[in-house]
Amino acid sequence: MQKHLMSILLMLLSLQISSLQAQTTELDLSGTWGFQTDLMDFRRGSLSPRYNHALPENIELPGITDDYQIGYKSPYRHIDRLTRKYEYMGPAWYQRDIEIPATWKGKQIFVYFERTHWLSSVYVDTKEVSKIDYVSVPHNHDLTKFVRPGKIHRITVCIDNRFQYNTHKWNHAHTEFTQINWNGILGEMKLMAIDPVYIDDMQVYPNIADNTIRVRLQLNNTLKKEVNGDATFMIAGTDYRLEHKVSVASNDSVTFVEATIALGDKIKRWDEFNPNVYEITCTLNTSNDKASYQHTKSATFGMREVKQGKNHVLVNNRPVHLRGNVENAVFPATGYAPLDDASWERIMVLMKDYGLNHLRFHSWCPPKAAFRMADKYGIYFEVEMPMWGKDAEPDEARYDFFRREIKGILKEYGNHPSFILYCNGNEITGNFDFIEELTAEGREFDSRHLYSGSTARTRVKSDQYYVSQQTNKGPVKVYEGLPNTDWDRNTESDVDVPVISHESGQRCVYPNFEEIKKYANSPVEARNFEVFREMLDDNGMLDQAHDFFRASGALTVLEYKAVIEALLRSSKSAGFQLLSINDFPGQGYAPVGILDPFWDSKGLITPEKFREFCAPTVALLRYEKSAYFKNETFTAEAEVYNFSSSAIKNAKLKWRLTDDQGKVLKKGNLKTQTIANEDVSSIGRFSIPLTHITLDQTQKLTVHLSVNDTINNSWNIWVYPEHRSLMQSTDQVLYTTVYDEAAKQQLAQGKTVVLYPLPNTVKGRKSVFHNHFWNPIMFAWPPMTIGCLIHHEKPVFHDFTTSYHTDWQWWDILNDAKVIEMSEAPPALRPFIQVIDSYDNNKKLGIGFEAKVNGGKLLVLAVDTKKDLDKRPATQQLLYSIDKYVKGDEFHPQIIVEESFIKSFLTE
Amino acid sequence: MIRIVAIGLLLTFSTAVVGQEIELDRGAPLAQVYLEAVMSQSLLPMNDLGVEFGYVLYKAKITAESESATLELDNVRDYAVVYIDGKLQGTLADNRKKIQLDNLSGTHELQLYVENIGRITYGPEILDNSKGIFGEVLLDGEDVENWTMIPLNIRNYTLTDLIFTNRAKGQTPGFYKGIFNVDAVENRYLDISGWGMGEVWINNTYVGSYWEQEKQQSILIQSDVLILGKNEIVVFELKNSQQETMSLSESPVFR
Repeated sequence: MQKHLMSILLMLLSLQISSLQAQTTELDLSGTWGFQTDLMDFRRGSLSPRYNHALPENIELPGITDDYQIGYKSPYRHIDRLTRKYEYMGPAWYQRDIEIPATWKGKQIFVYFERTHWLSSVYVDTKEVSKIDYVSVPHNHDLTKFVRPGKIHRITVCIDNRFQYNTHKWNHAHTEFTQINWNGILGEMKLMAIDPVYIDDMQVYPNIADNTIRVRLQLNNTLKKEVNGDATFMIAGTDYRLEHKVSVASNDSVTFVEATIALGDKIKRWDEFNPNVYEITCTLNTSNDKASYQHTKSATFGMREVKQGKNHVLVNNRPVHLRGNVENAVFPATGYAPLDDASWERIMVLMKDYGLNHLRFHSWCPPKAAFRMADKYGIYFEVEMPMWGKDAEPDEARYDFFRREIKGILKEYGNHPSFILYCNGNEITGNFDFIEELTAEGREFDSRHLYSGSTARTRVKSDQYYVSQQTNKGPVKVYEGLPNTDWDRNTESDVDVPVISHESGQRCVYPNFEEIKKYANSPVEARNFEVFREMLDDNGMLDQAHDFFRASGALTVLEYKAVIEALLRSSKSAGFQLLSINDFPGQGYAPVGILDPFWDSKGLITPEKFREFCAPTVALLRYEKSAYFKNETFTAEAEVYNFSSSAIKNAKLKWRLTDDQGKVLKKGNLKTQTIANEDVSSIGRFSIPLTHITLDQTQKLTVHLSVNDTINNSWNIWVYPEHRSLMQSTDQVLYTTVYDEAAKQQLAQGKTVVLYPLPNTVKGRKSVFHNHFWNPIMFAWPPMTIGCLIHHEKPVFHDFTTSYHTDWQWWDILNDAKVIEMSEAPPALRPFIQVIDSYDNNKKLGIGFEAKVNGGKLLVLAVDTKKDLDKRPATQQLLYSIDKYVKGDEFHPQIIVEESFIKSFLTE
Repeated sequence: MIRIVAIGLLLTFSTAVVGQEIELDRGAPLAQVYLEAVMSQSLLPMNDLGVEFGYVLYKAKITAESESATLELDNVRDYAVVYIDGKLQGTLADNRKKIQLDNLSGTHELQLYVENIGRITYGPEILDNSKGIFGEVLLDGEDVENWTMIPLNIRNYTLTDLIFTNRAKGQTPGFYKGIFNVDAVENRYLDISGWGMGEVWINNTYVGSYWEQEKQQSILIQSDVLILGKNEIVVFELKNSQQETMSLSESPVFR
């Protein structure tokens, strides 16, 4: 049935635009359709379609049922996700009477829906004629045999968004956690008439070595008669136009035609820095003694090849480093992923704004517009099928669905240069022979992408890259930073294929309740936020909601800086996929982004500042710690991460140390040198003795490193004097680790007690520097806290430089501390070191607070003051500041607490 | 000209080489890496033993009246190897938590070597993130109690402090050591086919882990780990498959 026929190549270089009258005609089907729900699933399979009666309601398409408030009005306030206002899962019927133009006689007639969920069945008049269940690609139903040109047909479409196979409900292609499992028809929807000899498929395979493309056409011929003619290719791009003609002949129902077209030396390559995109249009003209036929098909392509390098993905034989974001179909404004160019353009521009060059589509594949915009902006895609978890466990029906789906994706989007990586799905378990089968077949079917079996699970032989949190050499993910930076993931990343760090980041920010109002016109609502907010209100802290948000947000920003820099220091890593730059509104609700679910900035960091540590070229420092004593020396190894378009010749490398006000305290240069491209280069080392730094009022200093004054990055360090005799009791001030008789008496006399209990004598959670991983609802394990709000303007911090949020100087203060449950304390009492609780709990928590007890003045600090105190300059300084405060004349606690509260958080 | 020919010959030769065999003929008993034991009537998950990830030996005395009995665990996170008096009986995981034990009558020591590969990230068990073994262990429906739980310091033990002797016959988990020669320092893949589950160090550098149930059956050994001449390999094997050799291959091995 399939046959290669002669293709005589004729080459014509032409600057003229041929005016070709395409014989394809289309009827736009958007607009009003009849509509009926069918929650009982009774209509299909029963006699009712045969009645051929008009559906009673109307709906506008493209659209989804949610747009018209169809379905079950949800009374719930889901905690673990946004709540869909109107739920609908079942068959829904859409109908239109359409006159098939009489001129379409002899044509092939198709009805085309760009995207739907997930089974679409088309009925012509009373008969079901076509069913398609792709999730990731358009549904194109062939109606030729069932419609008669010149006649009005009743076209009834059943869209069934129930799970057609037993697949994981978390797949982002249709999960309630992110985009909802909508019912409707989206994007382009049209009726098409095509000549009976037509191009069913056109795939373009670039060869950058000789600037040629191999074009493979699948010609369908429904005439059952031989036709002859030619295929004319028009290749067009910026300042480029080329025409090429080949002869074709077809006497079979399917014929493949291949043409190799030399594009000459004016053709430009495609990559992230030079996203040169070309349009190829093929016009097929054929005829026999009876008639002539014409069909035109276009595709976008770029001159790029992707290969598996040693540690990196190679684009046009050059190693690229992937700075990526995990995209989980988070589109709460519409409830579905957009199908228009403008929406995707916004996302690609955001990627560039934040220095990223890569998107991983986690367990889903985006529509065409996403590829078009990624082609245009130079963003590298990894796309997946709707496959997750146990989806590879034996189930032949499900397996067959995946076997169709992978081919569908490769055929529909394979030409796009942005499509560099394919993976079957996320964290798959089950039968890995099946995963290997898909992966090997993908490689065989389309060599324009690199393939991987599964993220973060069992490796298979056909893997060409591996996205994982670990390899058999150890962890490659980075979830959190450290106060030191002399580490990377090189050893662990260095295996037989390039390794991409899986779902790095994931640091939780306290929800921004201001976002609630953004859902007014969405199909979903943040009712969980309402619950969290009410809880915070009940616990007397609603006024602190914004402070919790910005303090935890600032911590997430500094964690992401540390996480990303660690991954950039890892020259043997192929890249990373951050989870994520935008919030994930399901799986418990994970506000881990610096952008909200609408991809709007939360105002935590500007793109310019973000690009200092996430960009094609980044200045890096390796140093041992963040907090120093004054008699120490700060020493750093400087590196430059450079995966830009070129090496940096004769780079001027400067460092400087500034104080809080930006005043330069020290500066110096490293040797001017050329910095290689596609590598992380060591550029030298510098030391700054801290003895001579005058500390004045600030302890926070900033080390800056710049390349040619255009690439800048900076790191905060803290310098403190040494304190030898801390926590000395006086007549007025008693330091004690136990709340005993002596302490009570001291208070009864109106004097001061500083209670610094041993951590193991304080009830409650262990304090952890990092804010909670992902979210505390899905991962209900320690710490169950989201950073700290520091009441930095209080006089207790007069001698301890801090912001309203924790920075790396807080590391050794917090890590061995205990979190005191303070719900029983008076509402007005606010701890000066206030720990932010999990937002589904919202209890008042603290590590340090002051109060009036029994007529005396009490300050409690649940920080470990024993372990290696001589190596903890910041803890020493905090204790010093507290000491000066309690012994000075500003210590006047206002809030009275009962002794019973003090006892409530101590053991015994 | 001669030089080119020589390189040509060398290439031909090296591509023809079948994996170089490494004999692991020295052994070190596991007791050397025992951390402080915890005793408890009921099982404690690793979380309560302060083990975030890694290995714990759970042991208890069992008495059986019949020749064979079924051992059934409530929870296995993530992998357990079952021994009776130092004899391998089989392995357990969270999707197969039952095992038939034979030749059992009398009193024996039940030893469960358990690995925790880190926290799970999704699935129905997500809200119960205990690791190790916990809940009940039943032997023919009877509770097994009075457990001794010994965390094993596998990853952080100073390898050079391990005392090796000639490898004894035996089936329990342990460390094995071998010496092999390298005449060209190049990347190699360590073929672990036949071995059960464990971790590998070469010249005191950690090079990776393996598991018989993975498709991937080799570990990349970077050339910078290898030295010309004598090299030393140390393997920790959890499920003792009584293999005595591993081999070096030029390409990754998948099953």
